[in-house]
Amino acid sequence: MASDQQPLLEGHTVSKYFGGLAAVNNVDFAIYPGEIVGLIGPNGSGKTTLFDCLSRLQNIDSGKVFFKGRDVTRARPYQVARMGLTRTFQSVRVYRKMTVHRNMLISHQWRDTSILSMLQPSRASTAQRAYQLLDFLQIRHLADEEAGHLSGGQRRLLEIGMALMPDPDILLLDEATSGVNPTLIETIKDRIRTLNEQGKTFLLIEHNINFIADLCSRVYVLNYGEKLAEGTPQKILQNEAVIDAYFGA
Amino acid sequence: MGTGPPVKTSEEKAKRKLSLPFLAPVHSLLAGWVGLTLWLLLLLLLALYPYTGVSSVALFVGSQIFVLVTLASNWNLIGGMTGYVDFGHAVFFGIGAYIMGILVTGSPLLISPEWGFWQALPASGVAAALFALLIGLPTLRLKGPYFSIAMLGTLVAMREIARVLRPFTGGGVGLNLPPLLNRLGDYYLMLAVMGLVVSIIWWIQRSQFGQSLIAIREDEIGAEMRGINTTLHKIVAFMIAAFFTGIVGGFWAWQNTYIDPDVVFVEARTVEMVMMSMLGGLGTVWGPPLGAVVIYFLQDLLWGSLFGVHLVALGVLLVVIVLFMPEGILGTLGDRSSTSLGRLLSRVGRSK
Repeated sequence: MASDQQPLLEGHTVSKYFGGLAAVNNVDFAIYPGEIVGLIGPNGSGKTTLFDCLSRLQNIDSGKVFFKGRDVTRARPYQVARMGLTRTFQSVRVYRKMTVHRNMLISHQWRDTSILSMLQPSRASTAQRAYQLLDFLQIRHLADEEAGHLSGGQRRLLEIGMALMPDPDILLLDEATSGVNPTLIETIKDRIRTLNEQGKTFLLIEHNINFIADLCSRVYVLNYGEKLAEGTPQKILQNEAVIDAYFGA
Repeated sequence: MGTGPPVKTSEEKAKRKLSLPFLAPVHSLLAGWVGLTLWLLLLLLLALYPYTGVSSVALFVGSQIFVLVTLASNWNLIGGMTGYVDFGHAVFFGIGAYIMGILVTGSPLLISPEWGFWQALPASGVAAALFALLIGLPTLRLKGPYFSIAMLGTLVAMREIARVLRPFTGGGVGLNLPPLLNRLGDYYLMLAVMGLVVSIIWWIQRSQFGQSLIAIREDEIGAEMRGINTTLHKIVAFMIAAFFTGIVGGFWAWQNTYIDPDVVFVEARTVEMVMMSMLGGLGTVWGPPLGAVVIYFLQDLLWGSLFGVHLVALGVLLVVIVLFMPEGILGTLGDRSSTSLGRLLSRVGRSK
């Protein structure tokens, strides 16, 4: 991590309350370009809520979020998406009634939002890019299937593909491996590594500790909405407070 | 965990059982240029129809059907494609009708000189579209049945407003428009409007704009998160649907020569639009026009053979259709772009 660099995504004392419950409480973080950062914590520790705050699906009650140096605390979701932040969801969100290929096209089209291009069908180059990505994720053979007919693991891959379509700078993956078989997990891991080498930054929510340990250079641990620890996976896994909270001593 | 929006396996199974795979190429051809070409050919034939020496009654029937097709297609844009089931869409029809009435009679408002039909007609559409902008900004934030009920409320409210604003609208007494009978002109005007509207819907369906609308229908949060400005898309679709509904309303007022709140701001007109779209296939391009034609002739047939209980018969028939063909004629024939009303109205739980 190069701390003299400007962070790609940065949060200052981010808080989100649901009634009296502090789902995210005064969390500070910074993610630098080219990193793979893990976000772990027990169920209900606020990981997904923090993701929702960053991708602007949830309003932030206090604190500030900066993306590429710009204050996006009050931005709309589509605005941060267009700036280059894409995400996947804990419960997969694909358009079930559309084909896999169409799903990919939809996720790309805002790269050009002029009225003229909105009145046209998707470009051939976009369709080509979609096929390449489906190839990369090993689901090309499903391109003409309805997304609703795919298995859970295949849908996860599709969702990652959709997040990749617009060529984002950072991807927020929410439990990319849950409900996915071990072989497919290896595929996902491998693909994340390749993409990272190509310069993509990742923030991962994971329960699969091995997955985190293999991929991430740094890890944040949340517990009851607060940041419990941060550091390298090795350091985190030896941290007593983390072991206490996460593995339930 | 990891299940996403509820998997409707039974629904999907039922769909797969019914869909006819050998018709898939036909559907994709109809959605493409072949579909538009056939449509333009049909329009050409309809344009030649008056030259076959038909009666003015036939022309009147023709223009009535064109009106229904236009209304159904318009409703389908916001209801079927974007997934916002508008139970108050007749409000735009009413606004179009009243703008036409007020402008061409001029008397209640003391507009002088009165506007001609051709000046008032675009004004009807523009007024309806502006009203859609105004009312859409708050109501399009609502999901599923909440939106439907808000629009139904808007319709009822506008009816009462039209009744109260006596100096402008003539109140409950209504407005009498100059009676100028021109069956041939009406026929061609509505043929042109219908041709334009259905062609626009065809174009939208294959454009990125239309695909974004469908993405909004399928998963609005997902669409927003993938960079689609959902508010802008919904408003634009709503305004287009309102504009042409307003035009039809204006035309209808002119043709009918009399309007009052109870004949233009009427729920039955919305129900008609929903029924026709649903019968043909919600979300498809050709379904709503097909549904409109079928319902028109069905009504005619039932009226002729079962007078007295024809409305009951029509109602029973529709219940049967909803139960056994929830995705309409085209959906049953395997058109993948179709959806069902039940699916659209159950979206409320999926907002987050």
